Amino acid sequence: MLVSDLERRFGYRAVQGEFADRELSGGYTSDLLSDVMANAKADSVLVTIQAHKNTVAVASLVGIAAVVVCNERPIPDDMIEAARAEGLALFVTAESQFEVSGRLWPELGTGSGR
Amino acid sequence: MTRTRAWHLADFHNHSCLSPCASLELSPSLLARQARGKGLKLLALTDHNAALNCPAFARACAREGVAPLAGIEASSREEVHVLCLFGSPEQALAFGERLLGLLPELPYDPEKLGDEAVVDEAENVLELCDRYLGAALDIDFDALCAEACGAGALVVPAHVDRPMFSVSSQLGFLPPGPYAAVEAMREPLPALCGGCAVISGSDAHVPEHVGRRAFEIDIDGEILEAAIVGAGAGGGAALRAGEELLAAVREAFDRKAVLPSWARGGA
Repeated sequence: MLVSDLERRFGYRAVQGEFADRELSGGYTSDLLSDVMANAKADSVLVTIQAHKNTVAVASLVGIAAVVVCNERPIPDDMIEAARAEGLALFVTAESQFEVSGRLWPELGTGSGR
Repeated sequence: MTRTRAWHLADFHNHSCLSPCASLELSPSLLARQARGKGLKLLALTDHNAALNCPAFARACAREGVAPLAGIEASSREEVHVLCLFGSPEQALAFGERLLGLLPELPYDPEKLGDEAVVDEAENVLELCDRYLGAALDIDFDALCAEACGAGALVVPAHVDRPMFSVSSQLGFLPPGPYAAVEAMREPLPALCGGCAVISGSDAHVPEHVGRRAFEIDIDGEILEAAIVGAGAGGGAALRAGEELLAAVREAFDRKAVLPSWARGGA
């Protein structure tokens, strides 16, 4: 599935939609960025409630293609700006991390590498 | 000014019986007494998200001959802990009031999560807090640091190298901010220090942990003595002495005139 499918097929709202569309290789679900740095894979989608500009920096470090912020957590403006500067796709949803992970698993589960 | 500057033992991270996770035995009075026993001259009380025991702490410190700072260990929305240190209990209480408005309404069972006792310096229980103080506040880390700084606090990210509740665990690295210093458990990577002075802290939750990771600070002894006298007297004298103390600590941090526990060869 493509990054753009997160909005088109799953209905997650893009708060930063300026990105080069690409194929997702898997996903990772975590709220601790130290854990994301250690365990997330490149070209994956990060499912999280950690809405902070550091999430963007860590995503860019790892090569994460998209971030889905769950539970409608408020997203600081500087996080959106950082995501725009990095060309990182940033989505928000009312669904929990459990729900998002469950919905994405049939598409991305085998590629999650975990 | 270098009138009577000397190295003094200090510790800016301590809990009392107000913190749900701390021992009920650890009253502000016992904390001050333990600190004096360990040779500390400068001590902060930093309960989770509240400063309600700071008035008793200041008076207990005056009795023990220890200079007090009134602090709060605030927990941001990202669950990053940050020490906010004030010169007087009044300032800390005012900031604590602000934080109370950011504390989520959660079901709180003292049986399971621990008691939160507000006490006086004679260890009488004045009140049991009915809100869970261990929760994350509804404010992001950057905004919390900015607000604390604006309220006059020295802002010190807590245990930056800890695997939980730290900038490194929650946010991966230290974002830029108005930090006076950072606190670490061991000598941290430069990336976690933001160019600031690095202190150690005991994070005492039980009496026997008071002073276990104290640090040394190069500070004017007369300012410490004035703060001790002020804390005993209260009122305007306490406010002025506390302000002077906080300014001296800030100035020592700016000079990086601190020796954390690992640099003291022991502790």
